[in-house]
Amino acid sequence: MIPFWKRAYNWIDERVELEGLVHFLGKKYVPVHRHSLWYYFGGVSLFLFIIQVVTGILLLMYYKGSEELSFESIQFIMSKVQFGWLIRSIHSWTANLFILAAMIHMFSVFFEKAYRKPRELTWLTGMLMFFLALGFGFSGYLLPWNELSFFATKVGTDIAGVIPVIGKLVMPFLRGGDEVSGATLSRFFGFHVAVFPGIFAVFLGIHLLLVQRQGMSEPLGTAKEGGDEFMTMPFFPNFLLRDLLLWLIVLNLLAILAVFFPWELGRKADPFAPAPAGIKPEWYFLFVFQTLKYIPAKLWVVDGEVLGILLFGIAGLLLLLVPFWDRKSSRGEENRFITYLGIFIVLYIIGFTILGWVV
Amino acid sequence: MNKPVHLLSALVFAGLLFAGSLRAADQCLICHTGQGDKPSALFRHDVHFLKGIPCSGCHGGNPNAAEVKQAMNPKEGFIGVPKGDNVSRMCAACHSDSARMRRLGSSLPTDQLESLQSSVHGRLSISGSERLARCTTCHGAHGIRRVKDPSSPVSPLNVVQTCAHCHSNAAFMRMYNPSLPVDQVEKYRTSVHGTRNAKGDVKVAECASCHGSHDIRSAKDVKSRVYPTNIPSTCSTCHGNAAYMVEYHIPTDQFEKFSKSVHGVALLQKGDLGAPACNSCHGNHGAAPPGIESVSKVCGSCHALNADLFSASPHKKVFDEAGLPECETCHGNHEIVAATDKLLGVTPEAVCSQCHSPEENPRGYAAARLMRQLTDSLQSSEKRAASLVSEAEQKGMEISEAKFKLRDARQARMQARTMVHAFDPKKFEEVADRGLGVAGVVQVEAQQSVDEYYFRRVGLLAATLIITTLAVSLYLLIRRIERKQRGLNHVGRRT
Amino acid sequence: MNESAEPSSRQSKRDFLKYVLGGGLLAWITAVVYPILAYLKPPKQSEAKISSVKAGTLKDIPKDSGTIVRFGNKPAILIRTAQGKLRAFTATCTHLDCTVQYRKDMGLIWCACHNGKYDLNGRNIAGPPPRPLTALRVIVHGDDIFISNQP
Repeated sequence: MIPFWKRAYNWIDERVELEGLVHFLGKKYVPVHRHSLWYYFGGVSLFLFIIQVVTGILLLMYYKGSEELSFESIQFIMSKVQFGWLIRSIHSWTANLFILAAMIHMFSVFFEKAYRKPRELTWLTGMLMFFLALGFGFSGYLLPWNELSFFATKVGTDIAGVIPVIGKLVMPFLRGGDEVSGATLSRFFGFHVAVFPGIFAVFLGIHLLLVQRQGMSEPLGTAKEGGDEFMTMPFFPNFLLRDLLLWLIVLNLLAILAVFFPWELGRKADPFAPAPAGIKPEWYFLFVFQTLKYIPAKLWVVDGEVLGILLFGIAGLLLLLVPFWDRKSSRGEENRFITYLGIFIVLYIIGFTILGWVV
Repeated sequence: MNKPVHLLSALVFAGLLFAGSLRAADQCLICHTGQGDKPSALFRHDVHFLKGIPCSGCHGGNPNAAEVKQAMNPKEGFIGVPKGDNVSRMCAACHSDSARMRRLGSSLPTDQLESLQSSVHGRLSISGSERLARCTTCHGAHGIRRVKDPSSPVSPLNVVQTCAHCHSNAAFMRMYNPSLPVDQVEKYRTSVHGTRNAKGDVKVAECASCHGSHDIRSAKDVKSRVYPTNIPSTCSTCHGNAAYMVEYHIPTDQFEKFSKSVHGVALLQKGDLGAPACNSCHGNHGAAPPGIESVSKVCGSCHALNADLFSASPHKKVFDEAGLPECETCHGNHEIVAATDKLLGVTPEAVCSQCHSPEENPRGYAAARLMRQLTDSLQSSEKRAASLVSEAEQKGMEISEAKFKLRDARQARMQARTMVHAFDPKKFEEVADRGLGVAGVVQVEAQQSVDEYYFRRVGLLAATLIITTLAVSLYLLIRRIERKQRGLNHVGRRT
Repeated sequence: MNESAEPSSRQSKRDFLKYVLGGGLLAWITAVVYPILAYLKPPKQSEAKISSVKAGTLKDIPKDSGTIVRFGNKPAILIRTAQGKLRAFTATCTHLDCTVQYRKDMGLIWCACHNGKYDLNGRNIAGPPPRPLTALRVIVHGDDIFISNQP
């Protein structure tokens, strides 16, 4: 008696010829060394993204994206829909954890210099996905249409309006008008559930395809690079099962967070009320926000805010293009400068985030 | 000459001398009296004359001069008949000068003109050239008496007429304040104060007692003695003075009691002008305590619902026949305190038990007991519902809809308290049941919410157990696979 | 090493692990799928009720009538006067917080608790209420009536 799954496999194989694929998959390996731990963060990010898609689709069943209804619809989900509280809290928590995991993933790749040739495109698509993730966070944050999100969006789009030259076009485009209104909500909703997911999926596809094709990057100073050899483990089933185990634990963590730290809803946005004191953006924008606060209003002829935006813009661009200007790593040489730069960036972000929280 | 002529002229001379010796300085009076001048006739009884102040005291001129040209010489200070506000200024020349008044041996106050000028009577008259009232308007010009003098126009027994001279003249008052009533005297004469005053009682209130004399302000003026927040203390000036009121044999603790009452606190402490002052229930000019049958109507002018319910209730006839003042019987009159649930029912402190017992008026007894029971259960049901809602809220559950429904329970409790006054168990039950129904629904919803909270935690525990089991078994699987792989030497160098 | 020659203890351990794994997997799938299915089942109140803005349609509210609408956590009263004008106020009586109502026979807003009366401009005209009702803005979009507390 041929077991069912073997019969299913044969059925597909007769039509699609899975032999090559299976052989390829069987040969995949993952290096095992003291930095192997960081390999998992890409998978965790992917898992969290999948969670977002699933919970997001579920939320779509009940969410209503208009000024009059969005707050009440989330109230409805939290109170009247069975397990609505769970889906919504998981979605909100995962948003933050996803960005955190993506940051860790990005920085681990940065420190390992895994962006070097031949993985420049992988880095590019990854960075673009990271910027999209921030966009997801920013647009999704407005959707409950509560006090905090209304004013955070106001501040955020104000800053976008400060960008020289294009700022005056970008801000009304984002806001759907001159002020943050129901039009803004509609646009952000469209971005959040259609535009960003579409673009993200494309980049994700390219990113994963490249990873499959090129395999895992090995740290500098290994056999391929002329150094010592090291242990490996097959992707199937070892790494995959380990991945799944970690994902399972992350899922449990999310459930615990949803039950013990449910995501707040706050008060419905009132555009005519004054902004609540101490308004600040979510933690992943806090370091930018705090930096802008410290730049003086005017530096010579340049507006302080504009300068700040430009600085961050340039920093982001440099980070995006690091595979192209870090020649040493492409040659396989150690590049201490990158490491120190990375440490500086991480400390800067952590420091200013804490400052933004405490001050 | 013959003897009679001698005698006559001697007498005349003596008379003149006498008159002269008496008022050697008041030639004005002598001359004017001789002319048959009315003011000078009046002036002989004037308090100023009796104090030795001559005509020139107000009119100026030289009282010693017999010659008109000299006596009425402007150079000697003669001003003729002062007109308009000059009259008041003339009076004030002495009466506002405290040093002078003391020298003249008077202990009268000296702030009359000042008060008058800032009072409502100090406003300009319609001519625009003078104030409404001068001193002489009320006190007269030449026959001014002491206030206590029974023939003074401002004595307690006469002042009503003096004020009425203008204030009961509709055509006159229309020129100044068309909306001001002109029937005060008429009403006053129906009041206890008015009837006694007419009989000659100088102690009872007349116009000046409440409104003041020189410092009269409009009743809408906050500083007026008859502004609602000031009325209780104004009335209490007499009615709270036990010594003053001793011969009238009525209580003098009304102000004290009123201050402690709900109405008193609202009016005097919170400044709520909607709350009643003494005149709201007793009337102002027609002041008298409301009659037995009319108490509920008086209270009902604000508490309309309760009054209507009472009038249609079995208590109305019974109370009227028994001579019991309706609302007052249970709630008091001056010391009306907030009516709590304790007032209702059959406990010793409840007011119902004063008439109702199982043996006496048993139907009422049963009704009172039922209403109290329902009120208590409504209260406790609402409390329980509120605490459950609060518990759910504390636990972070979304409970705004149930909270909103709770308002209806509260409203039912409010309405039940009013419905008591129908003294009808059926009607009361209707209202109470509505409240109990809502409170019950809210309790259920809130309890469900609290249960859901615990359900989530239990659910998490179950999910965690499942995941842990799965994770552990997965881990064991990994370990087993790798052990097998090591045995078969799969892991090792890259090939 | 030949797998089939394994001692029976290890075989039974393997079977046990397979059962636990299989069972755990099944339980996990249930623990994930059940909430999702329950979530998708429509709740009794089928959708989020518009609570703070839309008060009804012009068709629903005849002349010389009033209706109570939930405005967030507080009640609001929407009135259409005999002349057809729309007015809206907070429906919390300023005396002791009961919910007021429109009385067609009086042509007034009335509070059932202590006979407080307000005119159709929300002003307190009789009874214990110390303050007028707060006026709310009425916005008409086509046939829909919205109440807003924004000026």
